[in-house]
Amino acid sequence: MLAYIVRRTLYMLPLLIIVSLLSFALIQIMPGDYLTRAKFNPQITQKTLAQMEARYGLDKPFLTRYWLWFKGIITRADFGTSFETNRPVFFTLFMGGRLMWTIIISLSTMLFTWLLAIPLGIYSATHQYKPSDHTLTFFGFLGLSVPNFFFALVLLWFLVAVCHVGQHGLGVGGLFDNRFVEASWSFAKLGNLLWHLWPAWLVIGTSGMAGLLRYMRGSLLDTLSLQYVQTARAKGLSERIVVYKHAVRNAINPLVSMLGMSLPGLVSGSLVTAIVLNLPTVERAFFSSLQMQDDYVIMGGLLFFSLFLLLGNLLADILLAWVDPRIRYS
Amino acid sequence: MKRSLLVLLGALLVFSAVGLAQGYDKMPADAVIVPLGVAGTAYENLQPGVRGGTFYISDISNPKKWNLVTAHETSTSEYGYQMFRGMTDINPVSGALVAELAKSWDISDDGLTLTFHLRQGLKWSDGVPFTADDVVFTFNDLYFNDDVETDTRDILTLPDGSFPVVTKVDDYTVQVQLSQIFRPILNSIGASIMPKHKLAQYVHKLNPDVPAGTFNGTWGLDTDPAELCGMGPFIVQSYTPDQNVVMVRNPYYYHYDENGTQLPYIDKYVTLVVASQDVSLLKFRNGEINALGIRPSDVPILKSEEATKDFTVILGEGGYGTLWISFNYDVDNANLKTLFRDLRFRKAVAHAMDKQTIIDNLYNGLAVPQWAQISMPSPFYPGRDYYGGPITEKDAVTYEYDLNKANALLDEIGIKDTNGDGIREFADGTPVEFELNTNAGNTLREGFCLIMQEDLAKIGIKADFNPIDFNTLVNKLFGSTTEAVVLGLTGGDEPNGGANVYKSDGGLHFWHYSAGTGDINEVEKQMDDLYNQAVSTFDNEKAFELYKQSDILFATESLGMINSVNQQFTYAIYNNVGNGNIASVNATPSGTNGLGWDLVYLK
Repeated sequence: MLAYIVRRTLYMLPLLIIVSLLSFALIQIMPGDYLTRAKFNPQITQKTLAQMEARYGLDKPFLTRYWLWFKGIITRADFGTSFETNRPVFFTLFMGGRLMWTIIISLSTMLFTWLLAIPLGIYSATHQYKPSDHTLTFFGFLGLSVPNFFFALVLLWFLVAVCHVGQHGLGVGGLFDNRFVEASWSFAKLGNLLWHLWPAWLVIGTSGMAGLLRYMRGSLLDTLSLQYVQTARAKGLSERIVVYKHAVRNAINPLVSMLGMSLPGLVSGSLVTAIVLNLPTVERAFFSSLQMQDDYVIMGGLLFFSLFLLLGNLLADILLAWVDPRIRYS
Repeated sequence: MKRSLLVLLGALLVFSAVGLAQGYDKMPADAVIVPLGVAGTAYENLQPGVRGGTFYISDISNPKKWNLVTAHETSTSEYGYQMFRGMTDINPVSGALVAELAKSWDISDDGLTLTFHLRQGLKWSDGVPFTADDVVFTFNDLYFNDDVETDTRDILTLPDGSFPVVTKVDDYTVQVQLSQIFRPILNSIGASIMPKHKLAQYVHKLNPDVPAGTFNGTWGLDTDPAELCGMGPFIVQSYTPDQNVVMVRNPYYYHYDENGTQLPYIDKYVTLVVASQDVSLLKFRNGEINALGIRPSDVPILKSEEATKDFTVILGEGGYGTLWISFNYDVDNANLKTLFRDLRFRKAVAHAMDKQTIIDNLYNGLAVPQWAQISMPSPFYPGRDYYGGPITEKDAVTYEYDLNKANALLDEIGIKDTNGDGIREFADGTPVEFELNTNAGNTLREGFCLIMQEDLAKIGIKADFNPIDFNTLVNKLFGSTTEAVVLGLTGGDEPNGGANVYKSDGGLHFWHYSAGTGDINEVEKQMDDLYNQAVSTFDNEKAFELYKQSDILFATESLGMINSVNQQFTYAIYNNVGNGNIASVNATPSGTNGLGWDLVYLK
């Protein structure tokens, strides 16, 4: 197993290099560059533009730029400097605890989704084709099909225009109310954080709920029709024990690998919601670098997300081997 | 009555005692006294306020650095404009050029030597005295230093390519020597002054120990805000990415009101970073922010809540932006090239532009027709009667919406619908058809294109509307490969900011680039001449007349860009904000130009 993990980890390096080369090429294909906006500013002369081009290295050919960037990583562990902030790429992406907040927000949302979806999936499977099963499926799909940004906006509008939360001194969007942003940690501040996080849980959670619920339902239904379940029932075990002790334990395996696969989603995957709910996430910083064509920040972001994707896949495989004794890697 | 007066006096005494206890600096000899509420001044509609409180506004993006010299965009520079001041500035109410760090200036008889007399006794926000050394450092070692990346260098460059020579006469006198008379320099020499005692160490030229280019990374987002210091009303205190920027008052700010109260009135100025304008609107309605620049589509919602929620929607005059359609004189297609170069065609398009529909449908009625190139808030706007005068539109060149006139002009050119399909044809039988581009995603411009497309169809012209990515469009413009485009430009108070557009050899003379390489026409020659004359005098009245001539000429004889409408300034502010009525395009409490923030107070 250890050899397998080491081998998979080593495979990541050439993969990441190919990813970086492809991404670098894709960025070049995008029309214009960081300075295109400046070209449309009447106050900036051609001379200044040429100077800026040279300073940012945008006048050099694609392969030269890629090589310089790549060399910087190998020789100095330097992933480049942001054109916009004139600061290192990962500082620009992660500053102000963005990475931490991204993980806190995503983990708590995931917890919310899983804690709701798994029991509901089980309930749905054991009440197959009953009105309650249909109702759960209906709401699951409703959550899946309503666009996140729209749901988030409607939710905030509801809080402001219908509930008038402002009159109770509560804010919407962001992590804290104005008075708490700079305050030191206290229970009141924590409570305020929760007040700002629940819309994110609801919006992101409901969109992921349907998939998970249906997976759990389908998987459990498959398992419930297997012979050992029939045997268990025939032995006279109570339905409770049959379902929870025998069926669910086996039915949950495919979901465990989904858990590993959702690791990359922890750092990416809720951009639009983060923008509407004004949450500080790495993705928002990445998105703004895309808008500004801040090349090296884009590269840094892509590498970071790719790394998480590869790690997530690896983790999924390991988890699967761990929960399912039938699977062995050699 | 007497008792309440006594209470008031007592309160005043307590306040001033608190003031002394907190160590407010004593008023410098050359402090700026703002005549709030004094009749006959630009400030007569404002009133003296009280100190204290926190003011909240929102901005759509994060700052990128704290260094104003190297800043490239407004969400960065708006903080710089609070922290720093220049020798001259714009009056937030009237838009006129006023003395700021300089208390006055003289212009020599030949117009080539400007002498600035600096205010004495002023201090940087860290208590270090401000002197001429800071001014000389800022210009010679920052703005004019090729090692420093700055957008300001270009506007400080004289037409012959040289820089003004800035020298120190004594601690409080600075001399600026010009190689030629250049009126806009009075405005651009008002560029923000930086603290030498803090920044000189990062300039390679002055400190060879640091590598070249070090200054460009100085005062970045990783700098401890305690390091920052400036001359403006507020200094950045803390920054939480994607959440907020907190600014606090500068204890040494040199502006006072008539009562001797040191400005700014507000203790803290907090800018929330809110990425979505819809959420900003919700936050305003929820009472989390005090003031908000709004879109035309927000006005109906806010108007309906105005009475119950105790805020006011301010509807002002037109802003700095423009929206126009332009035809490329250098297009490859020979038929189109002849047509686009025909003034009668461009006039026909102007007559076919239904401005009222554009205003009603796209702007909810919150826009005004635009005819001139120079921005409406500028004191040089040709709709005024004299420099800085009221807008009367006495000399406006207008093209009323009249399809008959448009059709008559096209008939006169000789393009007629010969095959009866509703589209006119050229002499060789090909239909009059061209591609109309704008940048995809800008709903106002896309809406304008659709209205134009419909109106052009009514006069037998087929415009194929194709919105494309902004960067692709800019590259097409510079490559002179567009046929027709709809775009906008941002203007400013100084009309010469547009020289790059209107002069025949300008880098943004995109409808006729070949003019720069010899294919120049009579009108362009006259335009060049007027723009050159208008900068070679320090007489604003004279410059005003010259710019007026240039705009009338452009609107009657050139129409290189055919103007449409100008969005009105719209703003919402809670009624507990004092002097909120200062809000205008020039001065908004949440604006990016940094004017007037120090006058706002909380009731």
